[in-house]
Amino acid sequence: MSVTRYDFSRAVSAFYEMPTELTRDLLPRDLQPLEAHHGSSIFAVTAFDFTESAVGPYQEIVLAIIVPPLIESGGDFPKSAFYPFLLGTSTPEARAHAIERWHLPHFMADIAVDFAESDGTVNVSVREGDKPILDYSVTEHQWEEVDHLYQCHMKDDAGQYKVDIHMRGQFCEHEEERGTLDIHDHPMCEKLDASEIAAFPFRELWMKQGHQLFEELETLS
Amino acid sequence: MKPSTQPTKKPDFADPPGPKASGKSKPKLSAADAADHYQDFDYSNFFSGAGEDPFCMLEPMDEWWSYAHPAGYYQFELPLQTAPGPVVNLHETLHNKDLRGLVNFASYNYLGLSYREEVIEAAVEATRKYGLGASGSPILSGTLDLHEQLATELARFKQKDCALLFPTGYSANVGTISGLMRPGDTVICDQFSHASIVDGIILSKAKCRFFRHNNVEDLEKKLTKAKGKKLVIVEGVYSMDGDLPPLPEIVEVCRRHGARTMIDEAHSTFVFGKNGRGVAEHFGLEDEIDIHFGTFSKSLGGIGGFVVGSFKLINYLKGFARSRVFSCALPPGVTGGLIKALEIAQAEPELRKKLWDNVDYAHKLLHQAGVDVGNSQSQVIPIMVRDDWRIFYMGTEMLNEGVYLNPIAYPAVGKHRSRFRMSVSAAHTAEQLERGTDAILRVLRRNGLCQ
Repeated sequence: MSVTRYDFSRAVSAFYEMPTELTRDLLPRDLQPLEAHHGSSIFAVTAFDFTESAVGPYQEIVLAIIVPPLIESGGDFPKSAFYPFLLGTSTPEARAHAIERWHLPHFMADIAVDFAESDGTVNVSVREGDKPILDYSVTEHQWEEVDHLYQCHMKDDAGQYKVDIHMRGQFCEHEEERGTLDIHDHPMCEKLDASEIAAFPFRELWMKQGHQLFEELETLS
Repeated sequence: MKPSTQPTKKPDFADPPGPKASGKSKPKLSAADAADHYQDFDYSNFFSGAGEDPFCMLEPMDEWWSYAHPAGYYQFELPLQTAPGPVVNLHETLHNKDLRGLVNFASYNYLGLSYREEVIEAAVEATRKYGLGASGSPILSGTLDLHEQLATELARFKQKDCALLFPTGYSANVGTISGLMRPGDTVICDQFSHASIVDGIILSKAKCRFFRHNNVEDLEKKLTKAKGKKLVIVEGVYSMDGDLPPLPEIVEVCRRHGARTMIDEAHSTFVFGKNGRGVAEHFGLEDEIDIHFGTFSKSLGGIGGFVVGSFKLINYLKGFARSRVFSCALPPGVTGGLIKALEIAQAEPELRKKLWDNVDYAHKLLHQAGVDVGNSQSQVIPIMVRDDWRIFYMGTEMLNEGVYLNPIAYPAVGKHRSRFRMSVSAAHTAEQLERGTDAILRVLRRNGLCQ
């Protein structure tokens, strides 16, 4: 089985509650959102600083909705499952690669992701040139070495897909509600109603010095 | 999975069984590796799975459980062998052993009334007279004169027109909320709301919005966006944190936005307020709140729930609170016992004073040792551990040290917000409080969680 490896120096993720009825507009009809509470589903923002990949170093922002994992009898159980509804990358090569290989929907202009780290907080700032897209912050907790399995669901005009992703590296996670989120008026966020998304993450996840291993893409339909 | 900073004390692992039968065979992990691996999961991972089979999550959860349970995860449903008094005996199921003489900080029998002799006598007398059950729905044949007596005395105590009785606290919240709210309406409640509040909202099909815990600014933001009929629900004492809502500010913002208010006083009735009527009385806001909810299972030591309010409100709920209409009425024995417990709770304010003396003493003992108890202002005291697996090993240590506390971990509380929930009762003696907190402190010290 061939795997695709992406090394990263940072992967910073935050989970925010948003009304379930709004997530349905972002999901294909046959995927359901996973609810954190009744009526509240999960909007996940993840920023990567990739240091090595098939298309060289690049940065990426992933906007996703958390969905229930697809379970196979006897298979490994994923920590969570994502449906990325929009990604942004810092290079055209990274976009072309992810669209062709993983069928992931992209914002088609270059973006930049800045990671500013101090006093146990990482501030992530996403921009397109001088236009702000979103800013968020995540705070640290107890660090540990992990190997986590995630599931990523994709859909485009040609079909529906799933890929298992192993995330390995230094990891911390907590629900202390110390992080932030500012969504700016930008085309990449046009499908998001900022006033309906929690301004703080209920869960914060932060990885350092790790790598992603994508298993082979599975076509579901 | 190896902690890189604060090391977790490794427990003595039982040798776990291999994974249960599944589609693919997996290598058997060592005990420590199995525990490490399965610490990445908890109940929440098995809530929902995509696929065609409603049983799709059974096997993954069973496999996880076959490692997690022997490794110490899950310490609930330990059968008590005595009344839930200040000292209890119980059966510890993980190691299959009986434990005796534990100081009990796990029960919410706040006034010690569940086993008071007069209460038991009243329950026995009512059972002899009326039999085991009410044998009917309250709207049909199930209402006894005892039920009417309890409702009347409760309404008098709460200084409201009427009271409506439900078979459980859960059904009281579910029935009240779903009986009142409709699709298109909005219910706004604190993010730490009890499951019965959330389930009531689900059943009502009203729109549900959560505001950040005790954050009036966030509540106002949610109220500003809400359209149509609005109901705001808060709790008197939050059951996992022991803190109180900023009720004056909440009432004020609700009034400005035309929202009705409901307070769940499950943990605060007979604890707060000059007369024990709860946190609404404590803040002097009883008349400003539209719906007052309470339970019979906490301070009064029985089971059941109630709502008090205006005659019109109760009359409406009698018709639309389906969890009451379609349940059997409270058992006669429980109802008879509750009438006596209500009488004692009102006639003996010294019980509440004793409870508060004990609460203050327990807080002082924990505070002196530098224990993190969050923002607790009540008899519900969270002892913060903030480690979602270590808390279960510590739970076993607590039992072995002679104190019974319930570990509370994700998803009941946020990730890494795990804690022991300590409930103080008026029935505890100073010696029991000292013995119990000494045991707690020994465990916390061994785990580096207090001075």
